Amino acid sequence: MTHPSLGSFRRVLAARGEQGDRPYGTPGTGGPSCSPREILRRLRGAVPGCPLLSHPEELRPYECDGLTAYRQIPLAVAIPESVAQVQEILRVCRTLRVPVIPRGAGTGLSGGALPNRSGLVLSMTRFRKILAVDPLNRTARVEPGVTNRAISEATSPFGLFYAPDPSSEVACTIGGNIAENAGGLHCLKYGLTVHNVLSVKILTAEGEWLVLGSEAYDAAGFDLLALLIGSEGLLGVVVEATVRLLPRPPLARLIVAAFPSVESASTAVGKLIGEGFAPAGLEMMDNLAIRAAEAFVHAGYPVEAAALLLCEFDGGPEEVDDQIELAEKRLRESGADFLRSSSSEEERLLLWKGRKSAFPAAGRMAPDYYCMDGTIPRRSLPEALLRIARLSEEFRLPVANVFHAGDGNLHPLILYDASHPHELQQAERLGRRILELCVELGGVITGEHGVGVEKLGSMCLQFRAPELAQFHRIKEAFDPDGILNPGKAVPLLHRCAELGAMHVHQGALPFPEIERY
Amino acid sequence: MEVHLSHSLQGEAAAREGERLIRACVHCGFCLPACPTYQLLGDELDSPRGRIYLIKEVLEGRGGVIARAHLDRCLLCRACERACPSGVEYGRLVATTRGLLAAQSPRGPRDRLLRWLIRTIVPYPARFSRVVAVARWIRPVLPASLAAKLPTPPPAALPPVLHPHRRRMLLVPGCAQSVLSPATHLSLARVCDRLGIEPIFSPGSGCCGALFHHLGSEEAALRQIRRNIDLWWPELQAGAEALLIPASACALMVREYPDLLARDPAYADRARRIADAVKDPADLLLSEGLRLPIAPPGRAIAIHCPCTQQPGAVEALFRKLGIPLVPQPDSPACCGAAGAYALLQPRLSNQLRARKASALEAGAPAEILTANIGCQIHLASGSQLRVRHWIELIDECQTQAGASHGVPTRGEANGHGREACPAVQT
Amino acid sequence: MSLQDQDLTDALAGEVRRAYDSGTPLSLVGGETKPFLGRSVTGRRLPLGEHRGILRYEPTELVLTARAGTPLSQIHGLLASQDQWLPFEPPSFGASATLGGTIACGLSGPARPFTGAARDFVLGVRLLDGRGEVLRFGGEVIKNVAGYDVSRFVTGAQGTLGIFLEISLKVSPRPPTSATLVWEEAPETAVRRLCRLAAEPFPLSAACHDGERLFLRLSGSKAGVQAAANRIGGERLAEPELFWQSVRERTHPFFARPGPLWRLSVPPATQPPVPGAGTPFIDWAGAQRWWKGSIEPAALWEWARSRGGHATLLDAGRSCLQPLEPALLSLHRRLKASFDPKGILNPGRLYDQL
Repeated sequence: MTHPSLGSFRRVLAARGEQGDRPYGTPGTGGPSCSPREILRRLRGAVPGCPLLSHPEELRPYECDGLTAYRQIPLAVAIPESVAQVQEILRVCRTLRVPVIPRGAGTGLSGGALPNRSGLVLSMTRFRKILAVDPLNRTARVEPGVTNRAISEATSPFGLFYAPDPSSEVACTIGGNIAENAGGLHCLKYGLTVHNVLSVKILTAEGEWLVLGSEAYDAAGFDLLALLIGSEGLLGVVVEATVRLLPRPPLARLIVAAFPSVESASTAVGKLIGEGFAPAGLEMMDNLAIRAAEAFVHAGYPVEAAALLLCEFDGGPEEVDDQIELAEKRLRESGADFLRSSSSEEERLLLWKGRKSAFPAAGRMAPDYYCMDGTIPRRSLPEALLRIARLSEEFRLPVANVFHAGDGNLHPLILYDASHPHELQQAERLGRRILELCVELGGVITGEHGVGVEKLGSMCLQFRAPELAQFHRIKEAFDPDGILNPGKAVPLLHRCAELGAMHVHQGALPFPEIERY
Repeated sequence: MEVHLSHSLQGEAAAREGERLIRACVHCGFCLPACPTYQLLGDELDSPRGRIYLIKEVLEGRGGVIARAHLDRCLLCRACERACPSGVEYGRLVATTRGLLAAQSPRGPRDRLLRWLIRTIVPYPARFSRVVAVARWIRPVLPASLAAKLPTPPPAALPPVLHPHRRRMLLVPGCAQSVLSPATHLSLARVCDRLGIEPIFSPGSGCCGALFHHLGSEEAALRQIRRNIDLWWPELQAGAEALLIPASACALMVREYPDLLARDPAYADRARRIADAVKDPADLLLSEGLRLPIAPPGRAIAIHCPCTQQPGAVEALFRKLGIPLVPQPDSPACCGAAGAYALLQPRLSNQLRARKASALEAGAPAEILTANIGCQIHLASGSQLRVRHWIELIDECQTQAGASHGVPTRGEANGHGREACPAVQT
Repeated sequence: MSLQDQDLTDALAGEVRRAYDSGTPLSLVGGETKPFLGRSVTGRRLPLGEHRGILRYEPTELVLTARAGTPLSQIHGLLASQDQWLPFEPPSFGASATLGGTIACGLSGPARPFTGAARDFVLGVRLLDGRGEVLRFGGEVIKNVAGYDVSRFVTGAQGTLGIFLEISLKVSPRPPTSATLVWEEAPETAVRRLCRLAAEPFPLSAACHDGERLFLRLSGSKAGVQAAANRIGGERLAEPELFWQSVRERTHPFFARPGPLWRLSVPPATQPPVPGAGTPFIDWAGAQRWWKGSIEPAALWEWARSRGGHATLLDAGRSCLQPLEPALLSLHRRLKASFDPKGILNPGRLYDQL
């Protein structure tokens, strides 16, 4: 028996229009205990006023999130508007062993909200209230469907803001941010979601209400909040969050620096960080990404440049002006042949807008794109980019690079056309090679987008059997029946063995007992 | 996103165009927060991304009824297009595929009758004014929702005394606006006069075509558009330098004439030149009107920027003129009027209006100003405040400041005005 | 690397496996500087301090990886030589404090409200679970969301979930300038004043109130610190290093007062008074308060809970954490069992049966 490649394996699944008969991620419920019709009847009875979609035509727009390569029509979609309704839905689903897939705005890029064929999509979009802003404690208490942008807008009259700003901040919800531990353009200075959320209220799979973290800076007992943030909807459904707000810096200025080569830009990044600069954000775009973004935003990016660095400083005016001047000098020394520093807030926002829209703007260059998310040590940036370029040639698919250079978080954007029969498969193989490269360089397979379904296979590159087993035990401690988002985030041990991708540690295969083919 | 056209649609030009437009969408979801109905309902199906997906299903031959229901709920405000980083032409996609959708899932008799009534009455000022007059008369027995839509009859506006000027512009009051709010174009005419511009009222023009277009009657829309071009072209030939259209929705429609007539060699060129000649009254005042004396009102006002209006233009003008504006935190983009939407989707339309009205009223303004007749009537029926076109306030403030008409430059400089347009075009 | 650097992974794993097989509880011992932070543990002593050595440190990467038994002082020294530091400013409570003990106790110093807590800087760990299995979580990069964030989860668990073998930390350039401002401030107004200051975009790095005076530390570029100091006012404190060290290490005269010490972790704007007598020492710009006095623990726990925080009694051998709600406690137990099925790692250190 030959071992099917990952890509063709997925193609087979896609052709069947299902996730496969065997679960490949975290174990699930083993399937509902009654017919779809009975499940719908019980749900309708439990939450009478709640929209419950079940017609195939209504369900199809929910078949994928921001990652369209993976699609699955769910059994139904519920759009509740009260915690009591969510609780009832969870109760029914647990009783009937129906998988529940929580969903925010569906902007995720790893398929974390991919439906389950026999499961219910639990849309949290109607939970959009900002419950309280506490300027003295510098916190905001919000419902999970509130967008990052909405929090910052609501808190700006107090001179405060919510720091994590993923590219999709206008649309993505706090619930989804918590599920994925979202980062953003400014996490170099302000951290990820895990650093900016103080407390969450969750409903467990059993419908039990738990408060993790506290309104203070820590909580008694284990740091359950750290465990929940980034758990991709597997451990609980977030129904409320208290986030930390920061004083808005009086001034932020952005330098755009163009470089004649990707290598010189990468070197400049290392130099800035190494010399003790503490930029609020430090981003890089390569030529393909520059051109795509420029076409949408007309920010005045030099479209001929091989690489662009966007470097922001914020704080008091004295400090910022000081840093900008020094950084400009360093960038010029590192080979920048074009420098532009924002002199007004409008200009700064415009210059950022190109970067923030770079992913979808790539949609102008190809019908489909596949966004990777590996992280590597910063020192390996030049090597990584060089080798990605080679892979791009090998697979004959263009790759645009737009990423968080300061954090070493790469976002290679593989451009392809899904209507050409083999391109998706090629794109996936190329993506997997890029992630292998990240692990080889001492990095990890996902910096901020999460594993979802997309990187289940790649998890086997980064973790060995004992760690994966521990992940499954954690899941079991929260959700013994496995009804929450089954099939995501953590691969089943036999999947890693089947993919043949496990590390071979000290000459020993991690799963000697599992048959390989 | 990939689209696999169903066999039966592969020969259809509209389907292929729809496929091309959908392929620009990468399903990122940046459009979600921009969409008024998604804000209200939180359902993917009532978002631009979801509607594109529904259209995709129609093109793939596996949908129709549900797609139509959710597309009918779309306001066509096109706020999503401004938010889309991939450049998806959502409005064009909807318009292009409307026929295919209609073919796959025909409307029921009641729906068809309502749409026929709107198409047959509103775009024709003569018919519409008669219907409005009758409706006012029988107001007590009308359903409350409809009665609320009827504006109180405007005070018999004095036709402005205008003066001949060398510069001339064509002034095009929309069909609904000329009936429901004649004060708007009369104010615009006076403001023009003060700027030294003689407004020409195009005789006999009615609907810009938007009502037919949005209700899916492409043929009727094109007929009306060609008729308008025939009427306006001679005026442009005779030296009218621009088209001033107080209703922003009509102005936007006229700007889209070239797209709609691109394949009509007899009209394409004139359509383009007419579209190029459309001038936003706010832009006119921003470039030429700042010098006129003006007495700003004492109390701040609230501006509702219609979805069809260039964002920020009126606000910029008011700020430059020193007219105080109230802030509008959390203000949704659309008021829910959206042409015939207010009549076709009254429940959603009213919910949107309630949200918008409370945002507009939050800062306790003296009145609400807007730039489109649809929004004006709709908001007026949902707010205690006065709602009118912004040009009326400008006119009033200029009058109070004693602004006089521009220097007559043509013919007899004797101060004898000539009476301008009648209040209602027929 | 010093001469004593050695890798004892195999030996330690063997010890734990034997303990697992025989069901013998283990009392984990690093530098023995922090027994007072938890309850006393009955079990066989397992010394961890010999497993030491800094494994990787590249200043331009801002990441340091060391074996858990490495003395904290060695790490401070190495970082200082490159003008870098641990921004969470951990206390050590003695020269023999180890990195492992510091992270196991999740200790953060005065800079915590402004730069982050110990767990915020933990990037990855290698640990032994209660079966003696070596597990590796996280990594040596700043951003990593593959799998559950176990490295942060085990931070602060005081060894009850696993034994640290290696820890990777994010480190930072040390701010070039620092200045501490001080002025008289009544306890009644101190909380509000601290919160107001913390809501302003000043380059704050510590803020406390000792009952009479308010202390504010500014850190950053010379120009930034100078500008902020001018706007805020107050007097410059002489020898600020010594002062903040006394706050961090709890050697400030406040801590010498009689009676057991309580740590109150509350939302920063929480208004005093604490039930019972005495003025608390306010640190973390209001979020961490020290209080000396005898009180029925339940009363203080209720006070802290009702304000959205929690209280801990710190008293050698008798330390008590705020009791957990039943549902939360049972989740703790399930998680403990998932890492340490026989309950042999520091049993009872945090709570009974945990």
